[in-house]
Amino acid sequence: MTALIVGGSKSGKSSLAQQLAVELAGDGKRYYLATMLPRDGEDLARIARHLEDRAGMGFETVEQGKNLPGCLSRADRSGTFLLDSVTALLTNEFFPPELDYVPDYAAGQRVGDDILSLGGQVKHLVVVADDIFRDAARYDETTERYRKALADILCRVAERADTVVEMAMGNPVVHKGVLNL
Amino acid sequence: MHLIIGGAYQGKRQFAEERFGLKTEDIFSCAGEDPDFSHKCLDRLEEFTLACVKAGRDSVAFFRENRERWEDSALILGDISAGVVPVDAEMRAWREENGRLGRYLAEQAESVHRIFCGLEQRLK
Repeated sequence: MTALIVGGSKSGKSSLAQQLAVELAGDGKRYYLATMLPRDGEDLARIARHLEDRAGMGFETVEQGKNLPGCLSRADRSGTFLLDSVTALLTNEFFPPELDYVPDYAAGQRVGDDILSLGGQVKHLVVVADDIFRDAARYDETTERYRKALADILCRVAERADTVVEMAMGNPVVHKGVLNL
Repeated sequence: MHLIIGGAYQGKRQFAEERFGLKTEDIFSCAGEDPDFSHKCLDRLEEFTLACVKAGRDSVAFFRENRERWEDSALILGDISAGVVPVDAEMRAWREENGRLGRYLAEQAESVHRIFCGLEQRLK
C-alpha cells in the first residue's frame, strides 16, 4: 500500500510516518530513503536528529537523493519504504547542485513519475511531504513553480494512495482510507 | 452558495468543475478586479481581497451588499492563513482581510468544502 502524510514544520509527520512504516513492515525489511543532500551545518544537525529518532526502529538507511527507483538496486522490493521527504527530493532535482542550482522545470513531472513507479513496485511505501501552500506571500516565479510542482506531485500521489493523512500539531486528520495504528 | 477553500494548487477549481458540473465559461477567474457575478463560479477570490487591501476597501461589505447576486454561486477562496506572519504590512493586511471574508462566506454558505491534495474534506 501507499500512504501519503503531509503537514507543516514539526507537525509530527515524520514520527507518524515512522510508526506507520514499522507497523506495515511487520517482520519484513524497513528502508529509510534518505533524500537530503546536506548543504550546511544546519542540515547535518537535522540529519543527526532524524538518525537518532530512527535509532532502534530497525530502519536500514538507503541514500537516494535523486532518481528514486534507483534505490531498488540496493533494496528488497518486498520491504516497506519510507520516503522522507518529497520536498527534499524535489529540491534536489529542481535545483540541481551539480548544475549550479539552475532550475529544472521538468523535475516535478519526473519526481512524480518516480514516486508512482516506486509505489507500484514495492510492498509498502510511506511518503512524507511539507504543506507549503497556505502562506500569505508573493513569491518570485521560480519559487511559485517549485510550489506548484510539489502540489502537483502530491495531488498525483494522493489520487493513487490508499491512505492520505494531514498532520495538524501532532494530530492526524485522515483524508482518505484508514490509518491503522 | 457553496464555498471551496484550500491552499495553492490543491485542485480547488477542478473540484468545483466536477462537483457542480461547471464549464470553463461558467468560471470567472479574479485577477484583482471586482468579481463578475454573471458567472456561476467565482475563482481566485484571494486576488479580490488583495485588491481590496491595496485600494482600502472592505471585501466583506462588498459581498454583503451584493448578496443576492452570489447566493446561488460556487465561490473559491485560496487559504493563505498559515505560514509565518508576513514582514510586509500589505501582506499582513491581506492575510487578515482574506480571513475575514472567508469566515463571512463560510457562515453564509450552504456547504463548505476544503480541498487538500485534490481530496475533499467537507466542513459544512
